[in-house]
Parts: sequence; C-alpha cells; structure tokens
Amino acid sequence: MEPWQKKHILGIKDLTREEMETIFKIAHSFRELSQREVKKAPALRGKTIVNLFFENSTRTKISFELAGKRLSADVLNFSSNMSSLNKGETIVDTIKNLESYHPDILVIRIGYSHSLINLSQYTSASIVNAGDGSNEHPTQCLLDMFTVQQEKGALEDLRVLIVGDIMHSRVARSNIFGFQKFNSRVSVCAPPTLIPYDFEKLGVEIHDDLDQALKEADVVIMLRIQKERQQESFFPSIREYVENFSLTPERLKKAKKDCLILHPGPVNWDVEISSQLKEIVHPLILKQVENGLAVRMAVLYLVGTRKREYEISD
Amino acid sequence: MKLAIRNAHIVNHDKKIRGDILIHNNRIETVGEVREKVDKEIDAQGKYVLPGFIDLHTHLRSPGREDTEDLYSGSRAAAKGGFTTIFCMPNTTPALDNEGLAQWITEQARSIGLVDIYPVGAISKGRQGKELTEFGGLKKAGCLSLSDDGDSLKNSSLMRRAIEYAKMFGLLIISHCEDKTLSAGGVMREGAISSKYGIRGIPCASEAIMVFRDIELTRYLNARIHIAHISTQRSVEIIRAAKAQGVNVTCETAPHYMILTDHDVEANNFHGNWKVNPPLGSHEDRAALTRALAEGVIDCIATDHAPHSEEEKNLPFEEAPCGFIGLEWAFALSYTGLVKKKVLTLGQLVEKMSYNPARIAGFSDKGYIRPENTADMVIVDLDCPEKIERTDIVSKSKNSPFLGREVQAKVVCTIHQGKVVYRAG
Ligand SMILES: [Zn+2]
Repeated sequence: MEPWQKKHILGIKDLTREEMETIFKIAHSFRELSQREVKKAPALRGKTIVNLFFENSTRTKISFELAGKRLSADVLNFSSNMSSLNKGETIVDTIKNLESYHPDILVIRIGYSHSLINLSQYTSASIVNAGDGSNEHPTQCLLDMFTVQQEKGALEDLRVLIVGDIMHSRVARSNIFGFQKFNSRVSVCAPPTLIPYDFEKLGVEIHDDLDQALKEADVVIMLRIQKERQQESFFPSIREYVENFSLTPERLKKAKKDCLILHPGPVNWDVEISSQLKEIVHPLILKQVENGLAVRMAVLYLVGTRKREYEISD
Repeated sequence: MKLAIRNAHIVNHDKKIRGDILIHNNRIETVGEVREKVDKEIDAQGKYVLPGFIDLHTHLRSPGREDTEDLYSGSRAAAKGGFTTIFCMPNTTPALDNEGLAQWITEQARSIGLVDIYPVGAISKGRQGKELTEFGGLKKAGCLSLSDDGDSLKNSSLMRRAIEYAKMFGLLIISHCEDKTLSAGGVMREGAISSKYGIRGIPCASEAIMVFRDIELTRYLNARIHIAHISTQRSVEIIRAAKAQGVNVTCETAPHYMILTDHDVEANNFHGNWKVNPPLGSHEDRAALTRALAEGVIDCIATDHAPHSEEEKNLPFEEAPCGFIGLEWAFALSYTGLVKKKVLTLGQLVEKMSYNPARIAGFSDKGYIRPENTADMVIVDLDCPEKIERTDIVSKSKNSPFLGREVQAKVVCTIHQGKVVYRAG
C-alpha cells in the first residue's frame, strides 16, 4: 500500500477509490482487534484527539470516542449546544483556543455545510468530518460501504437505492459519491420536495415510486426522517409519507431476495421501516454500528500516523 | 482657475476624438483644440479621457457601520475607481428614511468634496415595508431616488403606492428584486453545485418573480422603475420583453455577475469572500447578462459596493455577510472582462458607466464630455496590466473575490468639478 497522504478526512468527494480501499483494509484488521479479549492497540499513544461536537449526536460521538481510546489516544470531548447568536464566531474561537493544547486530530460535527476546509486554517491538527450540515458524513458512508463489501463480497456494479430526505441528508451525499467511485449506480427515491434541485446532474437516477425503485436494488439505504420537515411543508403528514415511502413487508417482497437494507440509525420504526421488519433488518443495522467503530479507528489511525510508515499486513 | 488636458483620446459613448479639453472652474469650456494659456495642464498623451463614472448603487455604511466604510473612505474609493457621482443605499443603521438624515449625508459629502454623493432614501419607514417615508422631505434633502435595497417590498399594494406617489416628485424608484419567502435561508444560487454540497440555495425564480411584479405594476401605473443588480437570465428575458412593449424600465447589473459564477464559489471552497446577494449565477446567466449588456437590455453597470469586515467575511459561508467592495476596480474589471473580450466597445462601456446612469438619474450636465457640462472626468490607461492587491485597497473593507486577479486597465486620474481628486501613485 502507498503511504497515507491525506491530512484531513473532510468528505468522500475528496477521497480516491484507492484511499477508500486502504481504509477498508485497515478497518478489517481493527474489526478483528475489537473481537479480541484485549481490545486495545498502542497505535495512537501520546496523540490527542478532540471530539468537537457543535451539534447533538450521541451515537457518532460514542463511536469516535471509543475508536480513539481503542487506539490508546487521549480523547477529549467538547460539546456545545450554541445559541443562535454568533455561532460562527464561537466555532472559530473554540478551535483557536483548543490550539493551545496542540491536538493531533479534531473530530468535528457541525451544522454548516462544507465549512471545515475554511475552519482548517485555524488549527494545525488533522480534521475528521463527523458530519457537516447537509454536506457529508464520510465515516457513515465508509461504514455503509464496508458493510456492503462484507455482505456482497464486492462494491462494484451494484444498484444502490437511497430513500428519504435526500435534500437534508449528508449520509445520502457521501454514499452517492462513495458508491459512484466504485462504478455502482445510485438512485434516490423521495417526494420531489425532498430532492435537491438539478440533482440528476450528479449522475443519480431520481424516483418517487418506491415500489418501482425497489425492484432492481441490491442495496437500499433508508434515511431517517426528521419530523420537523412536515412543519416546513416538505410533505403534508407523516401518515402520507409512511404510506408512500415506508419500507413494509409487502414492499420488501418486490425487492431482490438478497437485497441489503441499511439505515444510519436510529430508526423511527413504522416511519422509515415497518416494525414488522425489525427482526429481518435489525441484525444488519447492528453490524453497521460495529463496523462504524472499525472504520473510525481506521480513519483516525491513518490520519494520526500519517507521517510515519505504518505496518499492517494484508 | 483654468485647467487643460492635452493630447487625449476623448471618448464619449457615441464619439471618439483626439484633442484637448479646457476646464474653467467646474465646467467644461472647450473640447477640441485649446490654445490659450491656462493655470494648470495635464498631458494625457497615450491615455483616454472618459466622462466621470456614475454609480447608482453603493453602500457607504454610514451611519452605523463606520468600522467597514464611511463617507470619506467611500469617497476616496470612488475617486480611485474613476467615479465622480455615487448613490448610497439607505440600508444603514438607522435606515436613511428621513429628511434630516439625508440632509446630513448630503452636507457631509459636500464638505468632503471628493465626489458627488446622492443619498437614496428608503421607500418605507425603517425599511420595514409597512408605511411610506416622506418622499417630499427626502427630495428636499437631496435624494433623487428611493429604494428599500436589501429587501423587496413584500406588500405589492405598498409597492404600487410607492411607484404612484414617487411620480409626483419625479423620484426614481430603484427596486431590489427578491422574493424572500423563496430565498429565505439560501446562501448561494440554487443549482447543481448547491445541491452537491447540501448548501441551501436561492432559486433564480426569487429574483424573476419580483422583477416581473414590479414591471407589471410600472406598466399598469404608466410609471417608471429602475431594477437593481439583475443577476439571472430570466430577469433579462422579462426586462427584454417589457422594454419591447414600451414599459419605462431600466436596469443595472454589477461587474461580478459578468465575471464570476457559482463555479467560482465552489473553486474557492465556499469562502465568505465569494458570498453576495443576489448570488453569483450559472454560466448561462453570465452569458445572458453580458449579451444583454451589449444589446442594451441592461442599461448600466453599478458596483453594488458592499463593504464588510474581514472578520465577518471569514465566518462560515452560511453566516458570512453578503457583498463585495466594487468601486475601485469596476472599470478595470469591466474593461478587462468586456472590452478586451470584445463584448462591448469602449464607447459602450462609457455608455454603461457614465452616459446611461446620468440619463437614468436625470442629470443633463453629466455623463458626456462637452462644453457647458460639469467637469467630471476620468483619465485611464488602457495598456497597464496590474494585479489587484489587498495593499492597494483604500476602502476600509480589505476583502474581495478579485484579489490576485490581473486587470488590463487602470484609472490614472479622476477630475471632479474641475478639481483633480485622485492621481495614481
Ligand atoms: Zn440590493
């Protein structure tokens, strides 16, 4: 493998297919580590990682925190639920202040889309994007693809369908760019109000009929729907959304037998997915969580040891 | 006091001659050959003399944000850019919505004396879109035009009253066209790029809808209107059709809409320095705007000079304020982007920056170099490649998407009311 070059992991957009394959390889070995009795590796000993969460997220934060700790790094958590006033200023100040502690990696969750590259000028640390507005959530995409790779054996030439609030979803965007890099075809399915303008220019197919869209899919990613979207009139009611876009046992029958159902969690049961499907879809969703840890360890490891040669056998 | 400019290429919008200009106090006395003895001479050999530029759309931030610009720094920036007359928008704090404040601007500008500054009065009190301001009082204080710039009047009925009532005073209504229910929350043009990055977009329909509404009101009331900073192909098409039907509408666009697009926003990583309202459009918009300018659908170029502090412009894109400084390089950028690329002739650029703005604002003695007219002119060097540098900025606001860009022309001297108010160092 080529030595890792990238200082930051800001989005799947900026990663090459080779870099993604490297991450999957390393994640694979960390996955095994997590199944051992002693679950710790010394790879990032002496390094400081700050989890900087300007938006609520328990799951992603826990996953990153554990990933850092399993690699023996010192992990600091900083969460801030900011008032709406002077948010941007607060963020810039916080990053400047943290610089005094000489952190090696900042894991950042932030409400502003594609804002991390400009914020990177205020720190010498590597930045790992843990979700930036509606732009990207690269580690979620990597864990989704890592899971698909395990289940399907390969990532090429698949038909991937993403269902739900595409417009506001960083998970959707990262997965679109990710799967496209492996020559898989990505479709999205949602009410037209939740499809971004000119979205077909990204090379995705657009559907509003879930029954039709499901037929050819090898992988289906169901997105979490935010109840507030109804108040903003993206659709008139949850009831009508469910009627048209919820994954039900009847709908699932129309899909291929070996079709994978993924969800970034937490699932709103009976909204995105019928609770009758819990037993069928839950095991894979849990596996996603487990893989999330391995992928985040891989990402932290790669950017954290970037300057040194690393030795991991294939 | 007599001043002669000798050996110049004198360029009006419709005519180019070589010769001398004699200025007597603040008036042009002779254009052609000047033999008599004068107090002062400027040799303009190899240079071009154009009528002083007139900017119908600037923000001078006074009162309220003098940390980003004030009447003096704004006047200096204008003079450096070759502008001799500028109109300052009323979205100040407090809003420029009464006779007293307008009078204060007029008097301050006069005592600074570098360029003519005409305050644009607000249409509605506090720019709240609820009640009309006293148009008569604003006119007495020196206003020639009115605008709630920064906002459209949401209430169509109030806009109707404003257009009607302004007729009585011969005041020009300048309309900022934006349907804020459509643009709310948006920070760049809605399109493939905003969609790709999950950034909330402003649909081009937001501008077009208000352009259409205000034109329709103007047609209905048999009045006149000037549309500010148009940025989209659709607005061009609507205005083109209205003009063909004889509606008394004029419009402006700004240099950045003919040079930059949303691709530049992406290429510069969504830095606040590329954020402006109306937002930078698509390649198609840019092409349509430059074509419309050449065809005369767009009457003039205005800067929409909008200074902001560097600190604010460095905020995350979604929070950074909108606007670019524009006075200092408007001519250089337009010359480089339009005349050098053969979109416009030099005469047409003079028409867009001097002659037409003078007609729209109602000046009969500006915008053309001829005897009797006010001696407002600018001397430019059209063969002077130069890079736009931060250290050259005289505006208080030191950020611009054009920093580092090469331009092909330079303002070397600005003459306002017969006095040299700027000379390139
Ligand atoms: Zn405006």
